[in-house]
Parts: sequence; C-alpha cells; structure tokens
Amino acid sequence: MDDPHSSPDRELVDAVLADRPGAFERLVREYQGLCWHIIQRMVRHPEDARDLCQETFLRVHQCLHQYRYESALKSWIGRVAYTIALRHLQHKRIPLLESTGDDFDESLVETIGDGFDLETACADEETVRHLHAAIERLPPLQRTLLTLYYLEEMPIPEIARITGLAGGTIKSHLFRTRLRLRGALETRTGVAA
Amino acid sequence: MIRNMNDDIPSFDDPAREREWLAQENAMRRERLHLDPHSDDARAQRYRMLARALRQPPEEGLPPDFARQVAARAGSVPRTSYGTRFEFGLIIVLSLALLIGSVVVSVQYGSGWLRPMIAPSLSATPSLHLLLALAGCVGFTWLLGRWQQAAGRR
Repeated sequence: MDDPHSSPDRELVDAVLADRPGAFERLVREYQGLCWHIIQRMVRHPEDARDLCQETFLRVHQCLHQYRYESALKSWIGRVAYTIALRHLQHKRIPLLESTGDDFDESLVETIGDGFDLETACADEETVRHLHAAIERLPPLQRTLLTLYYLEEMPIPEIARITGLAGGTIKSHLFRTRLRLRGALETRTGVAA
Repeated sequence: MIRNMNDDIPSFDDPAREREWLAQENAMRRERLHLDPHSDDARAQRYRMLARALRQPPEEGLPPDFARQVAARAGSVPRTSYGTRFEFGLIIVLSLALLIGSVVVSVQYGSGWLRPMIAPSLSATPSLHLLLALAGCVGFTWLLGRWQQAAGRR
C-alpha cells in the first residue's frame, strides 16, 4: 500500500494547497475514476452522479487542509465521495441495504455445480445480460463494495476506510453477494449438482 | 498483494462458509491473472465469470473535460471551509455575549467588590513579579496561536 507520508500524495497535496497552476486539475484527473465508480454505483442516475462527483471535488478542494495523511489520499477522497453519495441516497429515501435480510441460497455453499464452461458462457450474450441485470438489481451498498473490490482492486481494509464499515461486515457482504450472484447464474446456466 | 492485506479480516465461524469464501477469492485472483480456466471446476468458473463482469467499468463516464471544468470552478471559490467559518462566527458571538454579560454584572453588582479590588492597586505599584508573569502568559498564548496556525497550514 502507498505510504501517505512519503508518496506522491504529499507532493500533490502540497501543490494544491500552494495553489500551483494545474495541481488541482491533476488531482481531479487522478481520482475522478474512483469517485465516479463509487458514486455511479451508489446512485445509478448518470446526471445526479456527475453533479455529486463535482460536489465531491469541490468539497475536497475546500477541506484538503484537513487531510492529515493518516490514510492514503485515495481512501480520503473515496470517503468524501462515499459520504456525499450516501447523503444523497438518504435525502431521496433510497435504502442502502435491503430490509429482507439474507437473500441468498445457503444450499449453494460448497456445492460445485456442473455443466458450465466459462468461455462459452461469456460468449453467450443472453447469459452476460442476465448476470449484469442481477448485478444492477443489487442494493447500492453491495454494488459499491463489489465495484471497489473488483474494479478498483482495493483490499478490504481500504474499503473499510472509505465506507466506515468493519472489515468483517464487508467480508460478509462480499461473500453473500457473490453467492447470490452465483445462484442467479446457476438458475440461468444449469442446476447445482 | 490483496490476499495478504486481507489476512487480518476474521474468518467465518462456519468452516463451510470459509471454504466457499476461499473459493470465491481464488477464482477472483485466477481471473485477475488471466490463468487458464480449463483446470477450474464449474463453481470456480462461475465465480470467474462474475469477476469478469464486475471488472468491466460502467458504460457511462464523466465528460472528457471534467477535471478542467471542476478545477476552474474550484479556483473561483475561496478555500475556507464551512466548518471553519461556522466556528469563527460562533467564537465571535460567544465572546460578545461574555463581554456584554461581564459589563452588565459589573454595573449591577460591582459596587460591592469592584472598589475594594481597585483601591489597593491604585495606591501601590504592581510588583515586578506580577508584571513578568503577565507578560509570560501573553507571550505563551501568542506563541501557542502561531503554532496552531502553522500546524493548520501543514
């Protein structure tokens, strides 16, 4: 992991705080992908997500002097984006999680299944569409956790710093969501053995 | 490596769940490394398909000039946090309330204790020790303020 005390983080933060030309634009360009992934996955409304991304970076610009290098700059900015998206969902009364509790097939645990070929399934557009639809139907929190874990390749402790959730809670969400999506895939491609 | 960084995360109490978790992790790692899927069982291949879908970025993205636009907008806003402004306002209001309260109390009840307090100091010169202590307090407060300002800027 980056050491926030010696990494380019400090150089970039110092440049922004000193109002050096182009420094803040460089910071935005560096982290806009992360913010977009977090906010877009939470909010799912492209126009709202764009506005919230802008709000995130304006907040970062305002509050950067409060950054104390206790975590990587990436995590700190991710936390700002997550908090802004969360507040937006609360304002719109969109639940972060489903209230139904465990919605996954426990019987899938440790079953191998059969009749599946990765390359064939990936080439089948209907199966791919089915899987993407299942991902889209996930509640905002689970979608975001999966995005940070797979797309941003962040380890669980770093996701914990962004979301404020405990590592064990994140692990549990990831586990159940993956099992649930695997169940969705099995109903499409064949029954577990 | 991601696996090492996740080592501090507690295991599931149920061993079957933990084994399933490890299968999920293994499939994610194999997909990330583009390893040949033919040796994977059906479960691992399904998790790998999931990983492939999740690693795709969203179709829609931010406009190409997003960074430039935001930087231009940020440049037009002075960098003073709302929190700092609120705290500063609160300090002013509370200081004024304290000052007004002190004046009112002194006028109302001061005749009994204010005159005896002032009388000896008018008749006698303050000692050098007291003046030094006062100067020390003022100097220390000033230095503390400077140090806090420097820490805030860092």
